[in-house]
Amino acid sequence: MRLLHNYHYAAAMLLFCIGLYTVIARRNIIKKLIGLNIMETSVFFFYISLGYLDGGIAPIRTGGADPARMVNPIPQALILTGIVVAVSVTALALSLVILLYRQYGTLDVDRLYRDEDGGTHGGPSGEDAP
Amino acid sequence: MGTALNLVFIALLVATALLAVFARDLLAAVIIFSVYSLIMALMWQRLQAPDLALTEAAVGAGVTTVLFVVTIFKTRRREEEEKE
Amino acid sequence: MKNLLALLFIIALAALLLYVAANMPPMGDPDNPTATHVIPRYLEGAEKETHTENVITGIILNYRGYDTMGEVTVIFSALAAVLAVLGRERRGRIHAYVDRSTVPSSVIVRTMVRFLVPLIVLFSVYTILHGEISPGGGFQGGAIIGGSMIVFTTIFGLYESSRRIPQKVRFPLEGSAVVTFFLVGVLGMVGGGNFLTYAWPRVAAGLQPALVTWLTVLVEIGIGLGGAMVLTSILFCMIREEEEIAVVA
Repeated sequence: MRLLHNYHYAAAMLLFCIGLYTVIARRNIIKKLIGLNIMETSVFFFYISLGYLDGGIAPIRTGGADPARMVNPIPQALILTGIVVAVSVTALALSLVILLYRQYGTLDVDRLYRDEDGGTHGGPSGEDAP
Repeated sequence: MGTALNLVFIALLVATALLAVFARDLLAAVIIFSVYSLIMALMWQRLQAPDLALTEAAVGAGVTTVLFVVTIFKTRRREEEEKE
Repeated sequence: MKNLLALLFIIALAALLLYVAANMPPMGDPDNPTATHVIPRYLEGAEKETHTENVITGIILNYRGYDTMGEVTVIFSALAAVLAVLGRERRGRIHAYVDRSTVPSSVIVRTMVRFLVPLIVLFSVYTILHGEISPGGGFQGGAIIGGSMIVFTTIFGLYESSRRIPQKVRFPLEGSAVVTFFLVGVLGMVGGGNFLTYAWPRVAAGLQPALVTWLTVLVEIGIGLGGAMVLTSILFCMIREEEEIAVVA
């Protein structure tokens, strides 16, 4: 059974689905961002699994390592770029969340829409600040 | 041996992802997400990607988590009630 | 109702993706398409062409130099966007009396942090400078420096840590990754090659390996410093208290 051998791919795809469910179904924006991060890491995980070689070694030639046994370096170089872009996206999104909370006092997407339709909106209530 | 360890890591990954998604306390969710990132870094080290493991441990488990925590301290810690 | 619909959609998607995973080539097989076409060329040629023993560093900074240059621009743009959203602190305007960014901590924690932060910075310098022969490089080292600043700021507060890295050092260094990359690219043109050529044709062939290595290390240092300062600035910008904005405005 191929799926049992490719269990890394299967795990990455399950994690992607968990992240996508969070982005769609959870109403809290911070939860949505955590879901987005889970999706990103799952895609990175899939790429690295694609580049893996049975009994492979890291693609570093120090000490005269054999290039024929090395794992695929291209996905790793791509994903290194991806991780850094992911943290940039997260930082920007979180600063927008802070601004949104200052303006509307809620992190709930449904309430944000209701406020836009002319509901009551005050500043942050601060009742459950940590 | 190696396969068993991989399976343990993958089970932990799925478990921490589900816990992070369904925790009511946002701070707890973020800390669980940092554990998820750390296990992911270990998994990548097992897949012979030490550069990425280093990056994920520093960026995913460190910087991203702190940015989330700062945001939660600036906003609110609990999810709002589900009222229709 | 909405959640149920989302759940059904996710289950259908998961089934589709698992079907794809079951029909992909077996993972880790040396005959896979991912391991056969261009990969041997990269693995064999990287040492001769990029003069870096870490193949990933060679690919990131040399083969795919344009890509990475765009990426450091993305980080810089992210910082610019965060500053546009939340507002940058004015020069010298972080005052001790509005600094509520820290929680009181015991003397043990303070002593340990004082002891640990220099060691973390030392490790990150090692990571940056050895990026071409061991795992690591500019991005990793920069993120580790950013992490050490986070630890320091959590314990000692924004006021103390912005005194350790003064604004007049931090603000110019934020762009150092982009600037270093661009300068090395232009130097490649001056040296007789294309943009981002590391091995200058006008230099004697015997000197070229050393030249490529030193330029790679230079770009790594630029990326490391720039990344660290960008992360520190984003962090400072986000933990700054609202009273301070009121003081500035």
